[in-house]
Amino acid sequence: MGIVSDLAEIVGPDRVSTSDAVCLSYAFNCFMGKGIVRKPDIVVMPETAEEVSAILKVANRYKVPVTPKGAVGGAGHGGPLKGGILLDLALMDRIILIDATNMKAVAEAGCSFFKLSQELFKNGLMLPTAAYGPGPSVAASAITPANGFGETRYGANINLVEGFEVVLPSGETIRVGSMAYADSDFGPYYRYITGPDLVGLFTRSNGAFGIVTKVAYRCLHRPAHWAFHSYCWPLEKIEDVTKALMAVTAIEVFDAHLYDKWWLLGMGFTIPDDCHFALTVIVNAENQQELNGKEQSVKDICQTYGGASLPGIAENVHIIWPTYFCLMMAEPPPSAHTPTKKLRRYLYLVDELIYPTSKVPDVYTKVTEICQKHGLWDPPQAAGFDGFTMSPQVICSPIPIALDDSDPDMVERFHKAQGEFREWFGVMGGTFQYRLPPLVPEFVWTNQLSAFALLKSIKAVLDPNNILSPGTFELGEG
Amino acid sequence: MKELKKTNLKDFKESWTFCLHCAGCYYRGPNIPHNWLELPPPEWSPPQRKCPSFEYYYFRAYTASGRGNLAAVVFDDNDFPITDDLIKVVYTCTSCGMCSEICRQFQPLTAIWALREELVQRGAKLPEPLDRIHANIEKSGNIFGARRQPKALEEIPTTGENIYFAGCTARFQQPEVIKATVEVLKTAGMDVACLGDAERCCGFVAGHDGNTALLEQQATENIAAFKKAGAKRVIVSCADCYKTLKIDYPLILGELPFEVVHVAELFAKLIDEKKIRFTHEVKKGVTYHDPCFLGRHGKVYDEPRKVLESIPGIKLIEMERSRRWSYCCGSGAKVISNCYPEFSTAITKERLVEGKQAADTIVTACTSCFNIMDKAVRKQGMELEVCDLSTLVAEAMGIEL
Repeated sequence: MGIVSDLAEIVGPDRVSTSDAVCLSYAFNCFMGKGIVRKPDIVVMPETAEEVSAILKVANRYKVPVTPKGAVGGAGHGGPLKGGILLDLALMDRIILIDATNMKAVAEAGCSFFKLSQELFKNGLMLPTAAYGPGPSVAASAITPANGFGETRYGANINLVEGFEVVLPSGETIRVGSMAYADSDFGPYYRYITGPDLVGLFTRSNGAFGIVTKVAYRCLHRPAHWAFHSYCWPLEKIEDVTKALMAVTAIEVFDAHLYDKWWLLGMGFTIPDDCHFALTVIVNAENQQELNGKEQSVKDICQTYGGASLPGIAENVHIIWPTYFCLMMAEPPPSAHTPTKKLRRYLYLVDELIYPTSKVPDVYTKVTEICQKHGLWDPPQAAGFDGFTMSPQVICSPIPIALDDSDPDMVERFHKAQGEFREWFGVMGGTFQYRLPPLVPEFVWTNQLSAFALLKSIKAVLDPNNILSPGTFELGEG
Repeated sequence: MKELKKTNLKDFKESWTFCLHCAGCYYRGPNIPHNWLELPPPEWSPPQRKCPSFEYYYFRAYTASGRGNLAAVVFDDNDFPITDDLIKVVYTCTSCGMCSEICRQFQPLTAIWALREELVQRGAKLPEPLDRIHANIEKSGNIFGARRQPKALEEIPTTGENIYFAGCTARFQQPEVIKATVEVLKTAGMDVACLGDAERCCGFVAGHDGNTALLEQQATENIAAFKKAGAKRVIVSCADCYKTLKIDYPLILGELPFEVVHVAELFAKLIDEKKIRFTHEVKKGVTYHDPCFLGRHGKVYDEPRKVLESIPGIKLIEMERSRRWSYCCGSGAKVISNCYPEFSTAITKERLVEGKQAADTIVTACTSCFNIMDKAVRKQGMELEVCDLSTLVAEAMGIEL
């Protein structure tokens, strides 16, 4: 008996594969394409937490790495860093609970956001995340910020998570956060137990501490009234647009995004010549009167800081049928279609940056400076800036650059720019939302080493054989 | 928004590498998000189960997303080993087009076809019996290797403006469909001709398994025959032929000098013109199976339904997955039914069970779909009748076949 037959005994032979073609098909990540190939040796598709538990026991016995994967749109983690078993959670897709009264939902790890959202919507609820379209599965999105296409001002997906069911490396199944008491009469009503919050241990963990099998979400009521506004500023008014963004996110808005012109042009919008930045704001309300008030506040703020109205952007940038984020993003910036150069793939210059909104001018200036130095910013190259507020005064920016990854010179310039920017950003205290491997496995962290040290200690206790997503928390070593 | 129109590597190369691998093309559940203002309209809400090969083989490799990953590797590496493993992954796609219906930006099915084309060009050994089918097409002009022209076509003239292109399946396996179609059209006052011995396989199977050279050869010969016969309108009963003649031929050889219509479209028109009159009531509850290559690929959804609803006594009940979200019948562009019969049987069974939940009779407008579903019903002893649209129309017109 070998590991493959042991696994086949658990899930059935049809759901275990060592096929080279099957394994290779998991060795990718969008934006990184085939450039980062980390192929699993075995792919297993469990359908229950019990099967996951049995798989981990087998993996421990053989000391074989296990990495979970869901439907990951956008960034997020790719294939396993050290090979071994890849757990594809796509078949674990049931919705366990929609509690409209208490505004809670529980779903299995592989349930897609679009599936869960559809059911929530029918019950007058919503998840205030923008991750509906690309369809990352629920746990994939929780253990990595897998949506990759922006959050609303309500935060990242993980800010909505209140509980996990997790299978530990030993095979033991535990429940943390609201899932700890999910089966009681009160249900999964609150993130916190009588004691420290353990939900956080598993978030953005890439499965390093356990395999998440169920996720409990808190949901929001879906208001009936919505409005969309956008304003623009020239490049030299970057301080003003930043102030407007900060003022807007300080009040109760649903979403605020900051785009530069390259991004807007990439999305196919026609913009005025003097528009370099556009601030898009979405507000919602229970009634028209409330909406009017919020709209007026947004207008007042933007006009106070010198913004010029730019109709037609906010209401079209995210949310019009039948488009959804990944399709919108799918069309590369216009400069990618240069007659002389086919730019074939997005690579994130710096994954996605998390930093204080007040630092937008510093970050934008640095990004452009470094990219221009390496010939990666202005056309015919194709880069763009997007900033979406994660919470009041915290912003996340993806900086994708389209490039021809078959052109070694272009790729080398990209990596040089990437290294320079990361160094500057790390010293500044920034964090990368998509810091997880394999996106930046080579990056050495210097600004959060003590936190990494604690995580490594916990990891050593929970996973003595280091079978779960090995490589993830080796990043902190300088 | 770019749209891939040809299954050539150039288009594929330029577009597919931007795929974000969002999994929307196969992941279960509706995958059209809300816009915070309203629920997605039903037409934007794909079904729970979308990709037949994912549902049967499970792994991501058996989806458009996974095949796209593999395509990217194969495409960039001329020496990439073409293993049986890879061939199975690539050729278990049914070509149903659900993925491209969901992801209009990338049209992932086009990438899969491009990958097949690449594999054929590299001399890959295709799954059995595709090579034999290719040889049959080249040698005998049909996928079965049959040599004799079927009797059903013998009495039809070989020149005229309205050429009925019966297709391999009807010619050699369903003469009753030919007879019904021709009689309906004649009763409606049309002069119908056929190509006779000059009719060759449209090239559908070759085109969809990557042998685009053979498809082009078939297109060239058939178009020459249509011209020689004086065709102004080519009428087809088979959804596969329809897609090939209507969509692929113009892409290969430019604008055609004749119109291509499916019998469902023509029947609907003749009903409008009151040239088809129904004299017999057909008291049946029926459901309509949209053939992938007539529906999703050909965008013909309304006409067959119009025909059915015009027949006195018929009550049309939709299946859960219908119109643009219709599910494969198991034929899988004839590649699946020929090369992976167990997989094919599983798909057919799933579709028939779905049909049975809607009605006791399932009607389709494709000889391939009819063929595979009818055989499965007989084999499995299901209490479900499978009808071809033309035959049903003939019955309602009181035509004795």
